[in-house]
Amino acid sequence: MTLAPPAPNQASIDAILELETHALQRFDRVVRLAQQLFDVPLASVNLLDHDFNFYQAQFGPPSQLPSEAYDFCRRTITEPGPFVVPDASSDLTFGSHPIVVGAPGVRFYAGQPLVSSGGQRVGSLCILDTKPRVITAPELRLLRDLADWVQKEADADRELVRASEVQRQLLPQTSPVLPGWDVAGRCQPAREVGGDFFDWYAVGEQLQFVVSDVMGKGIPAALIAASIRAVLRGTSRYNGLQESMNRTAMVLEHDLAETATFATMFCGRLDPVSGSLSYVDAGHGLTMVVRASGRLRRLLSDGRPLGAGFGESLTAHQTRLEPGDTLVCVSDGFLDFFATTDEALTAAMGAVAVSSSAEEIVNRLCRRDGTATRTDDLTAVVVRRQATR
Amino acid sequence: MELTRTSPAGEPVAVIGCQGRLNMLAAPALRSFIEETLGEGHEKIVVELSGTSFIDSSGLAALIGGLKAARQSGGDLRIAAPSDQVRSVLRLTNLDRVLLPHAQVSDATDGW
Repeated sequence: MTLAPPAPNQASIDAILELETHALQRFDRVVRLAQQLFDVPLASVNLLDHDFNFYQAQFGPPSQLPSEAYDFCRRTITEPGPFVVPDASSDLTFGSHPIVVGAPGVRFYAGQPLVSSGGQRVGSLCILDTKPRVITAPELRLLRDLADWVQKEADADRELVRASEVQRQLLPQTSPVLPGWDVAGRCQPAREVGGDFFDWYAVGEQLQFVVSDVMGKGIPAALIAASIRAVLRGTSRYNGLQESMNRTAMVLEHDLAETATFATMFCGRLDPVSGSLSYVDAGHGLTMVVRASGRLRRLLSDGRPLGAGFGESLTAHQTRLEPGDTLVCVSDGFLDFFATTDEALTAAMGAVAVSSSAEEIVNRLCRRDGTATRTDDLTAVVVRRQATR
Repeated sequence: MELTRTSPAGEPVAVIGCQGRLNMLAAPALRSFIEETLGEGHEKIVVELSGTSFIDSSGLAALIGGLKAARQSGGDLRIAAPSDQVRSVLRLTNLDRVLLPHAQVSDATDGW
C-alpha cells in the first residue's frame, strides 16, 4: 500500500482564514471600545508584518486611519511606555507631517506598544484626534489595559493556531493508493480545535479507517481525541480489529472516567482485494453503504461508546463492499443540518449519487456553510469501490 | 437550565428535574447536582427529563457520569420521560440499554 504525495489542503487553508477572522473581530471590539472610552474619531490596532511594516488588524470596514499615521506608531514601538503627542501642530518631529498639516489634520496621538509574551514589540494600539488634547494618567492606564487585552487575545490566538495546526497534522495528509478503491476524508472542527477526527493506515495488507467523535468541544475534547488516535494506532498493529478496539477501550477507560468523557467511534478494516470489511461501531451509528443500485444500507451499530461500556465488550461484524459500493461515515455534526436522521442519510445518499469521486462526496457532505450555523465538529470519510467495467 | 430536587428525608430515592437545554454549558451543573444528591445519602436517583428540550453529548456524559457515580455508591440512576430528541440520542449511541428510558417517574422507581 502506498501513499500519494500531499496536496494543498483547502480545509486547512479555510480553517486558518476563519481563525484569523475571529481574532480580527475581537480586535475590532477593542478598537470600538477605545473610540468610545476616549471619545476620539480614530482608533486602531496595528501589527507589524515580517518586513516590519505596519498593517491594520481589522475585520470590519477600514477606519479612516491614514497609513502615514504609522510614522507615529513606528515611534511608539521604540518607546518603553506610551508615546503621546498632545498637539502635533507644535511638535518638533511631527509638526510638518502630511497628516498634521493636511487632511485629516491630526493634532492628538497616543499610542501604546503591544508587547508579545516573548517581550517582542509586535505592534501598537493608538488613538488619534483632530483636536489637541491632554491625556491624563488614568487615561494612560486605561490605554495600557486595552493594549494588554489585545496582546492577551493575540497570544491566546497564536497558541490556538498552533494547536489547530498540530491537530490537522494528526489527520491523514494523503489518501491511500489502493487500485480499484477511492478513499477521502475531511474534518471540520466547529472551533479552532475539536473532538472529531478521522484516520487511516495500513495494517498488514489491509486498510484500517476510523471516524471518532469525542463528546464536548474545543481543547479538552482535542486532547482526548489525540490520545484515542494514538492508542488505537498502537493496538491495531498487533491485534485483530475486535481485539484492538477492546484493548483501546480498556486502556482509555480510566482517562475517560477521570475526565467524565466518552467517545463514539466507527473503525473498519478493509481487505482491498476481496472487498471484505470487518467493522466495529462503538455508539457511532452513522455509517452506511450506498450500493451501486443506489440502495442504502446502514451498518450495524451495537457497541457502546468508549468510556461508557459498563463492562460490555465490543463486537466486530463483517460485510463486503462490492464494485460500485460507497461506504459513507459521518460524525453527528452532520445531523445538525437536518430535522431527522433519516433526512440526513437521504442527503448523504444524494451526495453519493451525484459525485464522481470520494473527494467530491466528502466535500459535498462538509459544504454546509450558509444552511445553518455550525456548532458541532463535522467529519466524513468515504470509501468507494470502483465499479468493474 | 434549571435543576430541582424532590427527595423525601430519610428516603434513598431522589427525583431530579431538569428544565431546559442540557448542553455543554449546563452539563457540569447537573454533574455536581447529582454528586451532591449522592453525598446526602440518596443513592437512588431518577432524572426526570420531561422538561429537557434538548440534550447533546456533554449532557449525555453528565448522565453517564452520574450513573457511574451512583453505582459506585451502591445505588443506581434512571431516567424518566425523555423527549424524542433525548431518546434518539440515546438510541444512536446505544446507551438506551444503559439508561433505559422510563415513561414516568413511577415506572423508573419500580422495584426500588
